[in-house]
Amino acid sequence: MSEAGLHQPFAKSTLPQEPLTDRPSRRGDRLPPMPHEWIDRDRIIDFTFEGTHFWGYAGDTISSALWASGQRILGRSFKYHRPRGILSFANHDINALMQAGEKLNLRADTTPLEPGMTLAAVNTIEGVHNDRASLLNAFSPFLPVGFYYKAFHHKRLFPFWERLIRRISGLGQLVPTTPRIRTAKRYDFCDVLVIGAGVSGLSAALAAAAAGADVALVDENAQAGGSGSYQLGGELALAETTHQLVQQVMHHPRIRLFTQTVAAGYYTDHWVPLVDRDHLTKMRAKAVIIASGAYEQPAVFRNNDLPGVLLASAAQRLIYRYAVKPMHRAVVLVANTDGYRAAMDLLTQGISIQAVVELRSDPIANPWIAQLRSHHVPIYSGYCIYEAKTNPAKDGVCSAVICPIDARGIPQTGFSQAIACDGILMSVGWAPTANLLYQAGAKLRFEPSLQQFVPDTLPPGIFACGRVNGVYEFAEKIHDGQNVGVTAFEYLNNPLPSNSCPLSRLPSFTPPPLHPAPFIPHPKGKNFVDFDEDLQYKDFIHAAQEGFDNIELLKRYTTVGMGPSQGKHSNMNALQILAQITGKSPGEVGTTTARPFFHPVLLSHLAGRSFTPKRQTPLHSRHGALGAKFMLAGQWQRPEYYARSHSSRIDCIQREAIAVRQRVGMIDVGTLGKLEIRGPQAAEFLERVYTGRYANLKGGMSRYALMLDETGVVIDDGVIARLGLDHFYFTTTTSGAAQIHRELTRWNTIWQLDCGIVNLTGARSAINLAGPHARHVLAQLTDCDLSSAAFPYLAVREAIVAQIPVLLLRVGFVGEWGYEIHVAAESTPALWDALMVAGAAHDITPFGVEAQRLLRLEKGHLIVGQDTDGLTTPREAGLAWAVKSDKPFFIGQRSLEILAKQPIQQKLVGFRLDPAFQATPPQECHLVIEQDEIVGRVTSVAYSPTLKQFIGLAYVAPEMATPNHRFNIRLSNGEIVTAIVTSTPFYDPDNQRQKETIAHPSQVAA
Amino acid sequence: MNTPLRLSPIHDLLQSLPGNWQAINGMPVLTVSPPTTSPLILTDRSCLTRFGVKGANAADWLASQGLTIPDRPNSWCPLPNPSAGIIARLGLSEFLIEDSLSSRLAPQLAMACQTPPAKVYPVLRQDLAIALSGPATHELLQQTCNLNFRALILADRPILLTSLIGVVVTLLPGEHNGHPFYRLWCDGTFGNYLWQTLVAIATEFGGTITNVEL
Repeated sequence: MSEAGLHQPFAKSTLPQEPLTDRPSRRGDRLPPMPHEWIDRDRIIDFTFEGTHFWGYAGDTISSALWASGQRILGRSFKYHRPRGILSFANHDINALMQAGEKLNLRADTTPLEPGMTLAAVNTIEGVHNDRASLLNAFSPFLPVGFYYKAFHHKRLFPFWERLIRRISGLGQLVPTTPRIRTAKRYDFCDVLVIGAGVSGLSAALAAAAAGADVALVDENAQAGGSGSYQLGGELALAETTHQLVQQVMHHPRIRLFTQTVAAGYYTDHWVPLVDRDHLTKMRAKAVIIASGAYEQPAVFRNNDLPGVLLASAAQRLIYRYAVKPMHRAVVLVANTDGYRAAMDLLTQGISIQAVVELRSDPIANPWIAQLRSHHVPIYSGYCIYEAKTNPAKDGVCSAVICPIDARGIPQTGFSQAIACDGILMSVGWAPTANLLYQAGAKLRFEPSLQQFVPDTLPPGIFACGRVNGVYEFAEKIHDGQNVGVTAFEYLNNPLPSNSCPLSRLPSFTPPPLHPAPFIPHPKGKNFVDFDEDLQYKDFIHAAQEGFDNIELLKRYTTVGMGPSQGKHSNMNALQILAQITGKSPGEVGTTTARPFFHPVLLSHLAGRSFTPKRQTPLHSRHGALGAKFMLAGQWQRPEYYARSHSSRIDCIQREAIAVRQRVGMIDVGTLGKLEIRGPQAAEFLERVYTGRYANLKGGMSRYALMLDETGVVIDDGVIARLGLDHFYFTTTTSGAAQIHRELTRWNTIWQLDCGIVNLTGARSAINLAGPHARHVLAQLTDCDLSSAAFPYLAVREAIVAQIPVLLLRVGFVGEWGYEIHVAAESTPALWDALMVAGAAHDITPFGVEAQRLLRLEKGHLIVGQDTDGLTTPREAGLAWAVKSDKPFFIGQRSLEILAKQPIQQKLVGFRLDPAFQATPPQECHLVIEQDEIVGRVTSVAYSPTLKQFIGLAYVAPEMATPNHRFNIRLSNGEIVTAIVTSTPFYDPDNQRQKETIAHPSQVAA
Repeated sequence: MNTPLRLSPIHDLLQSLPGNWQAINGMPVLTVSPPTTSPLILTDRSCLTRFGVKGANAADWLASQGLTIPDRPNSWCPLPNPSAGIIARLGLSEFLIEDSLSSRLAPQLAMACQTPPAKVYPVLRQDLAIALSGPATHELLQQTCNLNFRALILADRPILLTSLIGVVVTLLPGEHNGHPFYRLWCDGTFGNYLWQTLVAIATEFGGTITNVEL
């Protein structure tokens, strides 16, 4: 249906032909007050942009304030450094990124103006007006599509390109002194989450809330209303209706409205991250209504990126939200009814329309055509804008060159004419904001009547309304929103299990809002499809010619949609261009994958507060007071050693070790896993999960315990103490406690033995008192008989120490007479203090983890996890003695039986360096080398002050594991150190130190 | 030796705070009266005596001790008057009994369970026990836990086992003077981390979260 006369433009002579070179005054670009405008005219905000002083109103964005002040160049393009202004004014103007002090990459189109802002565009050398990098624009013929692939493909030139690109890429200047910003992450919940507070979203929220749902409504804009408050076609009544909807929402007790909040992704079970300025909120909804609208798409013609060439909706936002005149004399390129609305909005505000250029040769009639004609606006149907001409100042448009376009989309340049203007509006179509729908698993189909992808099937609990649902007209959007709001509420009470949610009815007739081919080829190019990446129309033609004619391949080769706006105003055009090239329909071409987040999220928001749980024993503050240097052992903070003034770390560690060997030391071992098991089948349970025998363990005694996994690999060890016939207390390694308890609980659930396991790791603490004077210290605090006869090595006693009920285990992990004292956590400080007082006369010395590692190494005790790895079996680690293979069953037994028939690959051995060795010693993980082959690695190594030489443990080939065999260890710097295989224990091999008459340490060294 | 035989897991963190110290159940406790306008109050309740027990026969054994136990998992009920302590059923067969200031039931149960009957396993409780109260409590929980606390029906007396800032906690939601009141228990070795983190967040709300009251 067409309107007679549309094909004939007004006489050429009636149009002004001279280029516009005058820059509008600052005052002239601010319109009279608009109803419900977003600015506060009573509050002036001063700021600077690249050294020049500007002002705006509170409520302005950076872009609106600059535009109102006549500043047209807001930034430079990423690749060619071309001048850019406002394009979308909808949070996608990524060529207008600003830096304000420490804050990088502020989106000028949406960032609120703040007093005193000192702004600069991020991608320039010496500012937007004199950007020296704009030289790159002249080199664009040498930067073809797929440039990165072509440049980096060449091995010889790779370093050159890498250096060059690293030097010129990057947006903004990082300020290293920027303080870490900790932002809170929050969780929130609602019945219905409505994404998008436009007309349909507002209506959906009100309908769902009226039915009884708890509704959360989010919108990325500063205020709700969406296009209902600016796409008016001069009809202010629409804005008033929208305003009333907003007021109803704001006053509804069951609706929470979140503005300036982006729903940045969709995750399973209706988790949606909501990102605002200060928070990332993880919103969990029972149903989600996506009313996210559509992105307006640019037309593709030469110089469509000049400042002053705007999407029509951008101009409408400038007018109605910020009362800013987008231009003074406009040419409006249209291909749908929204374009005529935009023209009317300009006209209503006194902006001269030099021409309406209608891409369609046979446009649908609409009421605005007659109104435009009545204002003597020429309408050129079947015309295109062939080219925009830059003004002499090169900061804007001076004219639009238009010409007829034939049915094949070929511009008839022989009939071209230039129309003077200072701005061009583009209204050629929309692409649905369907990213969240795709992420939620919705299936979309291409609807030819709309030239748009619309929802076909939706997952349970997901609903769509408004433009994303293919509904464009004001009244229909309200109806669509209401319909979906009620449906979503009904879903809450009757959730459907599968993809069967009803869709809203598409309107019976809607003119296609998107032109199928709004791109005009030009021999000189610079007709941009992707404004993020400076991709031109010809780039897509060339990419397809080079074989990248699949949408996913095309995306990666051209990088279309891979810039900061993620293709919001380029993907649809790219898709249409590919469809045109390949002769397919857009539906056949398909879309690229939409992944969260679909809008950039600040790293500070993603990081949140960085909750990292730390465990501290009840003695933590006492260690700190003693100068402890803490280290992490799993989640635990443990004293590595106790620092002393004028002493090195190594000196401190050796001093602590010597104190244990010669007097008495005390270490906090509260981090050990501590478990209790009771019941008639407790011994049976332990025999199944550990390799040793415990049924025959006498009451009051303890025994080493080794745990394997089902493949026979060593996973944990500890000590099991029998407290009664059916009562055992046992320890695990520090790092293994939680998972071992979980694993034992799992096994007991499977086996259903008559026993119960209690995890006491946090409830009990433990102190290891060790050294030749340990017994004397402890004897001062307890009535328990500590004699060797009454309390032998490996015995266990329940006792009272310093008025505190404790469990005493006589153990020898560090190779000295010692007691592991297990105590209720709340009494641990009192016990520690008592031991310190009692030990003062013996110069009792707290020792840390490093001294303990040294002492146990001297004794030849391995540490599971340090001296074993994820493949170590007991045979390899020298722990076969702890495996009772004649038991009926234990975890890992079957694997060990299989492995026993095979030779082992490596064996853990002790080694020492020559006592005269003075050079750089090996470190843990240094490799054992034999004939240039790796045959093992060092797992532990330290200098023993008692033995006065370096000792260690290492895995070596089995044939090397004979005493006095010499092998080579390669250091980090490549040097080779020779080590000598030595039997273990290095210290006190006959366990003399556990006997009543204790020899001097020097007498028991191996 | 002057060190008390019982110390709260966060005893050292409270040292710098103003208030009066007094011994309660053998544990030094900092007592102050918080401003009534405080949006959020954190209270260290670790001094209260408590007892845990689990096992298939735990419910019967507790009943044999004269206690009425919650009839379903993850719920609680008050201890007999005049105690006003609570008994919480943490799972099908695990229980936590916490006294009030005026009762001493937990130590009696611990004594009675020294030689437990079959399938009854006493659980040593050395928790950090705190309370969160005030109008900003839910905001604090929203930033630290992914549970929807507002959806809870307090009349059902729910008990929640969940994760708060990465720490496993038991939560008992309630109300006090029209505002949320949550009791929380966690492994005492996470106590310093949990307390410091909660206080840091709560301080951002502008609350006077510096004192501990009982």
